[in-house]
Amino acid sequence: MKLAFAITGLVFIGMYVGAEATLHDPKPDGKVHLKWSTDLNPVRQVQIEKFEQMYPNDVVTIDPSANGDNSKVIVQCATGVGPDIMDTEADAMRSMVDAGVLLDLTPTADKGGYSPNNTYASIKGDLMYKGKQYRFPCNVDASCIIYNKQIFDDHGVPYPQPNWTEDDFIKAANGILHNPSKSGKTLAAAYSPSWGVGYWHDQLLARGGSLFSPDKLSSRVNSQASVDGLQDYSDMMFKYKVIPTPADAAAKSSQGGWGTGGMNWFCAGQSAMLPIGRWFICQLGNYPEIKDHLGVVQIPRIGNRPSTVECDVRGAAINSKSPHWREALNFLQYLASPDYSKIVVDSGDAMPPNPKMATSGQALVDDLEPDPAFHAPFVAATVSGKTMDDDSPYIDAADVSRWENDYVGKVENKLMTPQQAMDALATQIDQQIRLNLERRPDLQKVYEQQTGKPYRSDWWKS
Amino acid sequence: MTKRTKIGERALSYGRLFVLALLGMMIALPFIWMVGASFKTLDQVQNVEIVAKHPTLQNYPIVLTMKPDPVTHKMLDLQYGRWYFNSIFIAVGTTFLQVLTSALAAFAFSRLKWKGRDTVFMLYLATMMIPGVVLMIPNFQAMVSLHFINTYHGLIIPAAFSAFGTFLLRQFMLSISPALDEAATIDGAGAWTIFWDVVLPLARPGIIALAIITFLGAYQSFFWPLIMLNDNRLFPMSVGMLNLNSSYGQETNYIMAATVMNVAPLILIFVVFQKFLVSGLQLGGVKG
Repeated sequence: MKLAFAITGLVFIGMYVGAEATLHDPKPDGKVHLKWSTDLNPVRQVQIEKFEQMYPNDVVTIDPSANGDNSKVIVQCATGVGPDIMDTEADAMRSMVDAGVLLDLTPTADKGGYSPNNTYASIKGDLMYKGKQYRFPCNVDASCIIYNKQIFDDHGVPYPQPNWTEDDFIKAANGILHNPSKSGKTLAAAYSPSWGVGYWHDQLLARGGSLFSPDKLSSRVNSQASVDGLQDYSDMMFKYKVIPTPADAAAKSSQGGWGTGGMNWFCAGQSAMLPIGRWFICQLGNYPEIKDHLGVVQIPRIGNRPSTVECDVRGAAINSKSPHWREALNFLQYLASPDYSKIVVDSGDAMPPNPKMATSGQALVDDLEPDPAFHAPFVAATVSGKTMDDDSPYIDAADVSRWENDYVGKVENKLMTPQQAMDALATQIDQQIRLNLERRPDLQKVYEQQTGKPYRSDWWKS
Repeated sequence: MTKRTKIGERALSYGRLFVLALLGMMIALPFIWMVGASFKTLDQVQNVEIVAKHPTLQNYPIVLTMKPDPVTHKMLDLQYGRWYFNSIFIAVGTTFLQVLTSALAAFAFSRLKWKGRDTVFMLYLATMMIPGVVLMIPNFQAMVSLHFINTYHGLIIPAAFSAFGTFLLRQFMLSISPALDEAATIDGAGAWTIFWDVVLPLARPGIIALAIITFLGAYQSFFWPLIMLNDNRLFPMSVGMLNLNSSYGQETNYIMAATVMNVAPLILIFVVFQKFLVSGLQLGGVKG
């Protein structure tokens, strides 16, 4: 035992000496070293190299975060050693602003060229909180439908046309499901299974609906636009039977052996249409069988309304406690530059933040997908898209998101009608807002500032 | 015993074996799937079959950066060898220090008599009741104050002390007869000699059990290294593998190949020392 202890101790000391000896700290270079908290993505190095060329006095190193998880940044910022630049989602941005972590970009944005006017108007809401700007996009995502031309040809169905409607979509999907296949190949579905809440959000936005009232004090999920949107999703599953239900998707995945998830179905040639963003082309190299047979069209229009989808933004924000916040603002200038957007275009990483670099399908052509017609619908979808108004200060967006999943799931499983589900969701959100206001004096102050009225426990009756 | 009873007992025995085999399969299935997926291409990974229809060995040399990625035609930006070394180094260091400090503390709590000993021990144990997440920010703040961020010692030193390890070894040491201490004292041994030459060798099963548990925990540790490090030369495997899961896409086939290589030392250690682990935990559970 003593020998084992001694040997382990010696091994540890040896490894320690070896480990430290092989680490060479870079010599002081007189440059400002910025930390960027983002995911470790192969294209990040290219992006950083370009930034360092443009701003030779600044050096950026990546502080890796688990993809989509902000825990690391939260712990670091709470102790004052957070990164200088950090990628955030919209709901995380709001929490961080409330915690005093993020720098208000409004005073410098216009002069620096990274104001909301320097990117798509459709995503302005996701860059702002309480009337101030806190981030600028690294990229933007808006979904279209990618379709497999081989499957359409196989079933003798004409390709979807620009400006197609929901009726056209149902007709095309039925054609694929019911027209005999020339090749004899059977499909699992016409349309790949998609995320129910995402489908409902798109429908809600397309109908001009919203999640909250303008004062953010009550829910609007039981409005006609919202219920109709969810009814539409339900009809596609149960009435027209052109979208697989989650239960169908799970059953067919396990029987067919091509895995779960809409992208897997589509890439395995088991479905003809896939709702997805432009970032899909990053994956194309893995699927050579379908790569040269793809077309893209916007999400179908509803009635006479234009096609509208929810836009997602991965944005960069600045740590307000960073000693290098001025230099970090250079990074936002870089994100707004054509040089950065060119890298996003070439790497196929969704849509570039600078709209001047995405004016047409031709402008987005890259080595991954040389056909301008492939890219053009994504330009239109991003321009006409909207962001969801899920920024009520009176309720945690994560709670709302969880309940949305629950109630849409109840419709998907036929446990509730769309009207019942949306009524129940609205009631739950409204009750939570009242409860939060009753318990939290800070929210009562926000209420008083916003409404100009003193807070009363029965405020919601007035 | 009648023939019918014998048949009944045998049936019961087979039934038990069947249930155990079923449970064993359930536990082993994710591991088997992981190994299977490490021999698949990305487009085959989601398929349900365990063994790929067209197995490939290419994921391993690609992860070891001996071969370029067939899609991008570039080497992956991984430092697999360095991360492997870091994982083992951090686990060895943590294990060595934690076992040493726990053994010393356990000796003080079990063999030495001093005023307030049991009260201090209860307070020591009470620290185990505080969830780790609650301590995350204060611990991190302490690391910031000590300038331990982005260093190896920031990963090793906080893990070098353990209330659980102290508790486990104290239970062992309480089971060793006090007569041995008295005999050694009569022969002129001091506290250190009694600890080093008498108690420590007899607590061997407990020490090995603690060493295995600590090594496995330190080797698999993810969140603490993630928040402590931003220099990829210092990453352990668990953090380094984040490279394969980004907003650009999840390269499951590579993740599985890297994971198979990552868990291999753990399996080896467990297989070699499992006898000590089981007996150590059993002894710790009943004596005291």
